[in-house]
Amino acid sequence: MSLKYITPAERFKRYLPKDYVELVDYGPFGKTQDEAGPGNMGQFKELVEEHPMCSGCWMAYYIRLIFASLPCPEETVTLGTAGCGRLAISQAAVPFIYGNYGDQNAMASGLSRAFRIRFPDKTKDVITIAGDGGTMDIGFSMTMHSWIRGEKFTTIMLDNEVYGNTGGQESGMSPKGAILKMAPLGKQGEKMPATALAQAAGCVYTVRMSPTNIKKAAKIIRRAIFVAREVGPTFIHAYTSCNIEYSIPTEDVFADAKEKEKTRFQFEEYMTDAAKEVIERVEAEEKAASKARKAASKAEAV
Amino acid sequence: MYYVAKVNSDMCAEYKCNTCTLYCPEANTLMFDKKGNTSWVDEDRCKGCALCVYVCTDMLDRNCITMEMVSGKED
Repeated sequence: MSLKYITPAERFKRYLPKDYVELVDYGPFGKTQDEAGPGNMGQFKELVEEHPMCSGCWMAYYIRLIFASLPCPEETVTLGTAGCGRLAISQAAVPFIYGNYGDQNAMASGLSRAFRIRFPDKTKDVITIAGDGGTMDIGFSMTMHSWIRGEKFTTIMLDNEVYGNTGGQESGMSPKGAILKMAPLGKQGEKMPATALAQAAGCVYTVRMSPTNIKKAAKIIRRAIFVAREVGPTFIHAYTSCNIEYSIPTEDVFADAKEKEKTRFQFEEYMTDAAKEVIERVEAEEKAASKARKAASKAEAV
Repeated sequence: MYYVAKVNSDMCAEYKCNTCTLYCPEANTLMFDKKGNTSWVDEDRCKGCALCVYVCTDMLDRNCITMEMVSGKED
């Protein structure tokens, strides 16, 4: 996909579905983060459409945030696997590839390599968005090996600490002692140290977080994508609660995310020197561009 | 029958704020009207989770959003 591919001819617009035309005209394609980013969600047409996820799902919120903060949505491909997340990710106006039970990182390896050969003049972003089961249990070997090989793409783990889609079995990421519908005695083992595993396997940028601060969460997603373009594998471990399996009243979901930020999901950011260099360079460029735009619009107003 | 969020637009317009629109889990549902400086809800899409009520009432103490029983369109 590219911006040219997405944009229809002006005279052909009246024959296209209204939703599609609105997405091109009022969506985030080809726009900057100041015009259509996480800071002004609700003022432009978003990439994710109506999705079948539960009422008050924090994972649905985080997915909405991921799509709003993509640096270049028209040049992005997302991959996912079985789980709740794919219900919303597959509804977005970004090409989505559905992996077969945990092989999303293996497919992403091939895809990102192929993109670099097929489009050497373009930057294509490959992002895998999968749940804790798809990343750390079922797809564990493929996830680890993609990191060990140093494949350049972003892995985002939506950690709801349970197999929410299949009725509440314990996952590797469930905390010790968690009592779930299919683990009535409580989980015996410990929660897997995902970010430590990622660092050991060679990820150049890892973050563990609970998405409560929207600006910070968006910045992390963009950093992970920018670093993956140039340096190596990046990993985000985000807390996206399951309000059904953990019986959290929907109106308290946000409060629960804040509480977890103080305990299991304390903010932790790790980056190598090479990753830090890329982040500093890109963020300085963005700041300068945004300043120039503001100055230009001011001059126009005068 | 179920509840959907309703924004009191007169109260909402007094504040310079679009925080609730940033924390809704549904896309294109809780929208912001720049001209009227107020949020509004697309009631057909609202799933009634009341996260926006938490943001507006508990976090910001502005009490502009309430949950109301959805009204049937047919008489």
